[in-house]
Amino acid sequence: MRFDFFQRDAGLPNRLVPFTTTLLFAIISEVPLHIPALSVVTPAFTLMAVYHWTIYRSELLPPIAVFAVGLLLDLLNGTQYIGTSSLSLLLVRSALLSQRRFLVNRPFPILWSGFLLVTAAVIFFEWALVSFLHGETLGAQPFIFEAVMTVASFPVGSYLLAWTQRGFLMRV
Amino acid sequence: MRERSGTVDRFTAPFRAAAQRAAVPFLIFLSALFIVLGKADIVLFEHLRITVADAAAPILQAVAQPIATAATGVRNIEAVFAVYSENQGLRDENARLLQWQEVARRLEAENARLRGLVKFTPESPVRDVAARVIGNSGGAFARNVLVNAGSREGVNRGQAAATGEGLVGRIAEVGDHSARVLLVSDLNSRIPVLLDDTRERAVMAGDNSDQPRLLYLRANAAVKVGERIVTGGAGGVFPPGIPVGVVASIADGVVRVEPYAELSRLEFVRIVDFGLEGVLPQNAMPLPKAAKGAKVIVDPDVMR
Repeated sequence: MRFDFFQRDAGLPNRLVPFTTTLLFAIISEVPLHIPALSVVTPAFTLMAVYHWTIYRSELLPPIAVFAVGLLLDLLNGTQYIGTSSLSLLLVRSALLSQRRFLVNRPFPILWSGFLLVTAAVIFFEWALVSFLHGETLGAQPFIFEAVMTVASFPVGSYLLAWTQRGFLMRV
Repeated sequence: MRERSGTVDRFTAPFRAAAQRAAVPFLIFLSALFIVLGKADIVLFEHLRITVADAAAPILQAVAQPIATAATGVRNIEAVFAVYSENQGLRDENARLLQWQEVARRLEAENARLRGLVKFTPESPVRDVAARVIGNSGGAFARNVLVNAGSREGVNRGQAAATGEGLVGRIAEVGDHSARVLLVSDLNSRIPVLLDDTRERAVMAGDNSDQPRLLYLRANAAVKVGERIVTGGAGGVFPPGIPVGVVASIADGVVRVEPYAELSRLEFVRIVDFGLEGVLPQNAMPLPKAAKGAKVIVDPDVMR
């Protein structure tokens, strides 16, 4: 965790862009989108943001920010298991940091494949954790559906994040 | 000045490095602690959840409303292309409904006569609040929606939430101007139901799939696919007779219900107060006096 946020810096608003976009993605995943295919289970937009920023600008999305967004996500979606999202997002950040050299500035299909693996791991982890906490094996279908939706909508999310990055963080 | 801050930097650098190293394990530990606490102490987190929901409600509403308007616009355009076939269907339906109207009128009159004969006590008046859905749980392990009406609008825990088609769920948490509806498909939803034809009682339990299961059904109950299901009224949570859904499938002893309400496309819900207190605690705190007081306020309406 760096303390760049608190240094006198003309680029502070720009430096907050990764956190702001991650927060925005978390809020969007809680709003009814009225798109038939996305209405039952919304894609894990927050995961996309954490994936993108950890690979490209991890110093601007410190662990505390990931934790805070995960916590907000859990509180907003009304789950009984508060902390599940912050835990899985923090684990994703830690795992990605050691692997980012394989993903940074690579062609999009490689980035997408990496995201597929991360999503599969996260959704499986959440399924196992919630099943354990609930004391009963949960039906895998909604989880598989969420994973598929998330991976399928990654190009859109990734494009938006890359566009934001080009717009705000070229010189920061 | 610059030199001084450099000295401070040199002095604090090892601590900062240690803090950075410890941050991730500490936050992971904190998340795990929250999960355990959430499982153990539901009340504290319930307050926290609804406080956050209350604070986020204006933001969610600001985002949800334009999206809903756009979605309605798209649906309207789609409807223009379907107008001819829809009109044809509506004419047929109207003819059928006019016949039913006759039947209903006859039954209503007969009912009124019979009620007069047996001095039937009328049910307490129903009061409802319409609310817009401003948030839905995005994750795969929770099925609930956030609506923009709370205790200020008279919403209370345990009340039923329905659409024109049927039951949607019950109010699980109430804030000042937002409330959370636990959908019938949620993992923690348990609703006493009655099978309309066979008069069998059961508990409809959500399991996060689109079709909740029926539990505690009598072993030799003659349930058929397509049978109508209504709320049973057991436990005093909901009054009996709210339409819930139909039996969708019976496989390996598991009976699944297809809810009438389209849970994935909720835009508005009606929160219905039947004046029943039910078995659910009205509040996390013991409030026997407040509950009694509330009943006194309701009583004059019933008398009227």
